[in-house]
Amino acid sequence: MEKRALQGPVSFLSYFLIAALALAFSGLWASPPTALANQDQSYDTLRNWIEHARPETELTPGQHLTLKDRAILEPLIPQPAWEYYFYDGMDMEIAETGTYPPPADWGKNVPSGYQLDEQGVLIGFSGGGFPFPNIDAAAPQVAQKVIWNMLWRPGAEDYVMPMVAWSRSPNGQLDRQFEFTAVTSRYAQGDHCLVPGYEEVRTKQLMEFRSPRDMAGAKMLTKTYVDHYKEDNGWMYMPAQRKPRRTLASERTSEVMGMDYTMEDAMGFGGKVYEHNWSYLGKRRVIATINVETNPEAGGPHLWVPKDARWEVREAHVLLVDPKSANHPYSHKIIFIDTETFWTLWMFGFDRQDDHLLRMNQHFLKYSESYAHETAAQAPYMKLDYANNVGERVFYHLGETDINPKKPHATFSHCYVMTRHFSSGRAKQFYSVRNMVSGRR
Amino acid sequence: MRLRTCFASCVLFLGLAVMPAPSWGIITVTDDIELEGFVKTQNILRTPMFRDAELIMQRNTAQLEGKYYFLRESQAFGRFATGPLEEATLTLIGRGVYDSIYDIRHTYNEAFGKNQRLNRQFEYKLREAFVDMVLPPFTLRLGRQQVVWGETDNFRALDVINPLDLRWHANWEPWEDIRIPLWMARAIYDIGKFGPLEESFVEAVWIPWDFQPNKVAADPRRPWGFIGDGLARVANSALIGGQLLDLDFMVRDDKPSKKFKNGQAGVRFKAIWGGIDFSLNYFYGFSGDPGFKVRSDLARLEGRTLHAVLDRVHPRSHVVGIAANYSEEKYTQSVFRVETTFTTGVPVTIAQNAPKRLDPDGNQFDTADRSVVMLAIDRPTWIRPLNNIRTFFLSAQFFWRRYLDYSRFYRGIPSVRRAHMNGEVVPDRFISTNADKIDQNEFVITFSASTSYGPGGLWQPLFVFALDPLSTGAYNKFSMDYLWSNHFVLRFEQNFFWRVRSHDPGPWAIGDLYGRPRDSRHESVFSAIFQF
Repeated sequence: MEKRALQGPVSFLSYFLIAALALAFSGLWASPPTALANQDQSYDTLRNWIEHARPETELTPGQHLTLKDRAILEPLIPQPAWEYYFYDGMDMEIAETGTYPPPADWGKNVPSGYQLDEQGVLIGFSGGGFPFPNIDAAAPQVAQKVIWNMLWRPGAEDYVMPMVAWSRSPNGQLDRQFEFTAVTSRYAQGDHCLVPGYEEVRTKQLMEFRSPRDMAGAKMLTKTYVDHYKEDNGWMYMPAQRKPRRTLASERTSEVMGMDYTMEDAMGFGGKVYEHNWSYLGKRRVIATINVETNPEAGGPHLWVPKDARWEVREAHVLLVDPKSANHPYSHKIIFIDTETFWTLWMFGFDRQDDHLLRMNQHFLKYSESYAHETAAQAPYMKLDYANNVGERVFYHLGETDINPKKPHATFSHCYVMTRHFSSGRAKQFYSVRNMVSGRR
Repeated sequence: MRLRTCFASCVLFLGLAVMPAPSWGIITVTDDIELEGFVKTQNILRTPMFRDAELIMQRNTAQLEGKYYFLRESQAFGRFATGPLEEATLTLIGRGVYDSIYDIRHTYNEAFGKNQRLNRQFEYKLREAFVDMVLPPFTLRLGRQQVVWGETDNFRALDVINPLDLRWHANWEPWEDIRIPLWMARAIYDIGKFGPLEESFVEAVWIPWDFQPNKVAADPRRPWGFIGDGLARVANSALIGGQLLDLDFMVRDDKPSKKFKNGQAGVRFKAIWGGIDFSLNYFYGFSGDPGFKVRSDLARLEGRTLHAVLDRVHPRSHVVGIAANYSEEKYTQSVFRVETTFTTGVPVTIAQNAPKRLDPDGNQFDTADRSVVMLAIDRPTWIRPLNNIRTFFLSAQFFWRRYLDYSRFYRGIPSVRRAHMNGEVVPDRFISTNADKIDQNEFVITFSASTSYGPGGLWQPLFVFALDPLSTGAYNKFSMDYLWSNHFVLRFEQNFFWRVRSHDPGPWAIGDLYGRPRDSRHESVFSAIFQF
């Protein structure tokens, strides 16, 4: 007769199971506390700040601003972000507001005949320059014109980009650290296509995770189209499944894994223009990390914001984006887009439930020509030859911070970017579903 | 000795767990060499009918994976030009396992001889070893590897290239870990766009000699021994002509030998047409599941002992199939998946009393043709009362398998039962019977839901449900991963096997078998994983 090693504790086990199930589906974990959220972070507060706050002091290049200079900075930092960007030990180095010319041939091979339709969707445009190089605030659909310039900005593709993202709770507690690499190419290049025969394709991106181990080897292939009405296509390869899986592109409002951003928040706006109502709120001067020396370290009490970075005062178009869907998590989103470069500087999304800040992001950029005289940091797992960047006359995205004050939680990321131009043949091979049928294991 | 082994395992595990790691995920050793892997301890508590609890597994696994980039940008080892061969890597994946249950439980320790115990207790294997080569538009993977085709999750239709090792925990583990990698060549020729087709390519696999069957633990002494619908005993008797005889049976393995003539090969064409991602597939191989031929010609009676002989065979098999998926973004916001196959050479048992025309050889063996239709839907879905920051990933499958040349004399799973004589049970005498009539149509429906909770998404629940509507057997799984850190993951899983009585068992080995009161296999699984 066998002696049972463990007998009896079944009732305990049952209770444990029931409790775990109940907890999992009770929604307790889905109702985050509202710590760190305050009245300064309401939608009305930001609208009021946009309308009334005006900088009274001109900043001097080389000037270092600390917490005692808060009054100077308040008109330059959108109010919902104050809670994170003003802290003991802050040090913002001010640089001269630069001018950053686009690539030499930018705008020279833009096919004519494109237009905005009644939904604000750009029809018939295939790249090569900004679709609307001159923004007239009084013109119709000006907000959509700005966003289309942002979506077709130079430097948004044609790179290899290893990344590190730190997912942190308050007080800097590190929850997860992600490492992944994105390689992206723009197919639609105005009057020609990177890969002849693929003229309908706008961009292709292949992303691969390398850490943490439970995600290492996961790959994602994303294909976007020149026709904005045509939904993106995506495939994901998970090593545990050893085969690619088709993904749904149209769900863009869920947080991505353990990070604090959504696909629709990518670079401020990564969604579909026709799913939103657009308003132009004018221009505002804001402070921005538009040409940092290198990837800024994380600072502040929670390690959620850039520390000791180089900032510039920039003029930004301010766009109000109201989702049409009543199920969208945001009631409003406000995006600050640089008037010269059309890169997103700040984004604020407000919770549909209470109009308070739900997510914000702020971006760290670097201009290609500054690599000629500044050394940027290398990715911890991949060495890039930044000399390739010089002469491109584009911006690179060196990272961002994505803060969710309602959880509260943030993801701070570093990107290490090198221009990579694919040949037609290589692009065809690299960005293919064929490349998704197997992975590193 | 046993104590020392356990202690050493614990020290090793704890040492790795607290040791500061040089990096996360993939560890870059040099510019050309990367390592990754994990150490895992898995403890399974079986709770039959929730009236008892029994530790049945204490499995400790260490897996190490290495990648060597020996050829980049058409230069091998940084010095030899390789022309059109642009990239090549070598990948090695090794796994070591120690299941201490065979040391710490008398049940398992004393049930096996030393060698048998060691075989079940330890596993050291170079599971995968392959070289990837890129010669655009060709890519080639040579070596021991896994290849997965098709759209179905966790059921076999097109995914038949690699056999499964179901011996240690049936199919309740990730299939990546229970597929048996085979030595093979896999080549892909990228075509790209032609005519109305996009992203098209042709893929061929060739397994020159490495055939291995699906591995099932038929030994009822093993924790996850497969005992069908009967008792956890070995048949020791045969009832013939009203006499109860001692049974001595021998199984002769007629597995295909390692010769080129026993090679297996397949080809598929994959492309996208009008947004539909599809593949046409063909695989010529052997049935991974064995059939058994009763060799009446070799049976003999010596005194009161019947010496019986069975030949275990793996018939040749053709698998032809189509798989496709479509992402419908506007109305349903769902990904639809479909897979359909036609398979020949499926081994089946013929009932003993079948007419001669159905069993002309009298060996109770035949092969059948079978089709599969699988329909599935994946959908990221907002269920805001349960989670208002992340969607649930919902996935459902309907899997229908049909015997095309069906006979009502087809039989399924044999079972061991107590021997009866004159209406009374004969003590310690067990006979094997097969009264499991196969249904022509077999169905299973699955559903899964997963999401993540907590600010950092560190709590990751998963719910799985599978139901065989004919046998009314069902399976539920609830699991919760807690990502303690990048390195350390805690996992709790609860497997439930449900069954409504008085139904024949189905083919899927879920609650219809493991929900029986005398073989109830509800279980709780506690795992701790340290990943590099």
